[in-house]
Formats: sequence, C-alpha cells, structure tokens
Amino acid sequence: MTSQEYLQSLRSYLKSLPSETREEIVLEIASHIQDALAQPGASLDAILARLGPPERVAAAYRDNFLLRRARRSFSPVVAAHAAVRLATKGIFGFIVAACATVGYCFGGGMVLVALMKPIFPRHTGLWVSGGHVINSGVIFPIPAPPAHEILGQAIIPICLVLGTAIVLLTTGCVQLFLRTSRFVQKQFQTSAEAMPRPATAQ
Amino acid sequence: MYLAKQDNGDDRWEAQLRKGALEMAILATLWSGKAYGLEIIRTLEDRSQLVLAEGTIYPILSRLKEDEFLTSEWVEADAGHPRKYYALTKTGRDRLHKMAEAWVDFSRNLSRLVAPVLSKKELSQ
Repeated sequence: MTSQEYLQSLRSYLKSLPSETREEIVLEIASHIQDALAQPGASLDAILARLGPPERVAAAYRDNFLLRRARRSFSPVVAAHAAVRLATKGIFGFIVAACATVGYCFGGGMVLVALMKPIFPRHTGLWVSGGHVINSGVIFPIPAPPAHEILGQAIIPICLVLGTAIVLLTTGCVQLFLRTSRFVQKQFQTSAEAMPRPATAQ
Repeated sequence: MYLAKQDNGDDRWEAQLRKGALEMAILATLWSGKAYGLEIIRTLEDRSQLVLAEGTIYPILSRLKEDEFLTSEWVEADAGHPRKYYALTKTGRDRLHKMAEAWVDFSRNLSRLVAPVLSKKELSQ
C-alpha cells in the first residue's frame, strides 16, 4: 500500500465526518507518515503497519464524533445511530440498544397509525367489547361486532402526541445514558487504544 | 476490545491496565512543552511500556482536545510540511496533576500490598 492509498482509504472511512474535520485528520496522519519516513532506516510498510489499519483509526475518530454529537443533538436519528454503535460494544450496550429499539418501534408505530387513519379510516382505531380492548392499530379485517371502534378521528392527535412523546422520551433516555454512563466512557473512548502493535512493526 | 476476545484473562487485565494509564501518559508527555504526534509517540515508547498501534494516539489527542485538556496549532515546519503541535491547557495541567497524584498514591499502596508476592523469601518457602 502506498501512503496515498492509505490516506485515501482513511478518508473514505471518515466520510460521515464534516469535510473540514476529515481533511485535518488526513493531513495530520500524512504529516506523521512523512516525519516517520524521514527517520533513518524507515520503511513505509512498517510505518503503515504501526499506524494500524485505516478502518480502525477511522473508527476511533467516528466513535468520538458520534458520541459527542449524540450528547448534544436532540435528533432521534443521531441517538438511534449511537444506540446501534452501542449494541456492538458488549452485552450492556446491547441491552440499552434493544430498549431504544423497542421505544422507537413503539413510538414510530403510533405515529404511523395516525398517518394511516386518513388512508384506511374504517380499519384504523381502537376496538372495545364489553369493556375490554379487543384490538388496536390498523386492522384487517375490521373486528366483528359486538366489538366497536371508540376513538374515531381523535386517534390521529392521540397517536401523534403519544408516539412523538415516546420517540422523544427514548431519545432522552439514550442521551442521558450517553452523558452519564461510565460504561460508555470506557467503551467508546478507549475501544481502540489498547490495540496490539502489529507483529510486522518489529 | 478486538484483542480482548481472543486473549486469556491475564492479557486482558494487562490491556485494561495500559488503557487506563494511556490518557495520563499522553498528557504527561506534554508537561514540559508542546509536541507533535510522532514526538508524543516516541516519548511514550522511550519512557513507558505502553506499546500501542500508533494510529490510535491521534483519535485520543483529538478527544483530549475536545475535552479542552489540550490545544493544537499547525506549524509550518522546516521539514517542508506542516505539523500539528499539541499543548496542555490550564485545565489539562490541573487534570494531569490530579491524575499523577492519584496514580502515585495508588501504585505506592498497591506495591506495598503485593511486595510479599514477589519477595524471594516467600518464593522459597
């Protein structure tokens, strides 16, 4: 691998970062390679091996960036992305990500039901029979009488508000977890630090 | 992380230990003045046994900068290409000082605790 190939590969793994940040990282690693090459007895292969695979270097930067952004952002998309990364980092992270998934599916599902009401007015609603909820959501076929639908058009604002609230609550919980958890500090911030030096470096 | 899954408990414990010390070690290389990435790596090599994949130092420096323990500036070097120099901030110096105190305290007490384990007298018994 030439140093240009290494840097190009690093750049492509850093696609998700803002271009200014990305180019500064690439410039810094380029500077490292040039300085290392200037030392007596230097070999490019050994230098690149000691740096480690570009995807691992990039992953450490991306995790830093993602964590920082997820702590600040109120976007469910960013929080969900962070939750997915968490799921790859041990059983505890997986549990948190699983809870977030349930929250997003449930909240998202409710919003979806609200959107379906105008499309399938007769099939969307909450059916009760004898004081018990029989079924809810978008139902094919419509539950048979004596079950009857009780919400009517009110299901739209109810589902929109509840669904949005659940999505926001889930995002809030993920954020709170990212901000406060020692587990996250450990997993995100040091995941790549203790990598072994590749054998070829010797 | 990657390593830990394959390795036995001893190696994992040692890897955790190194990980924990690395942030302090990086800050400590900047105690006496600013330095660029490769200088920091060489100092770590010479003064500590914290061997590591060199590429991982840079994301850590970036994080330490975001945490405002470090500042950085690009300097046009004689080498013909710019170098990114890092320096400790006031917050960084305070943080390093606290870490160093805690480290020395901790290692002194633990060394005392484990001293009998390594003493020859105990070994021969």
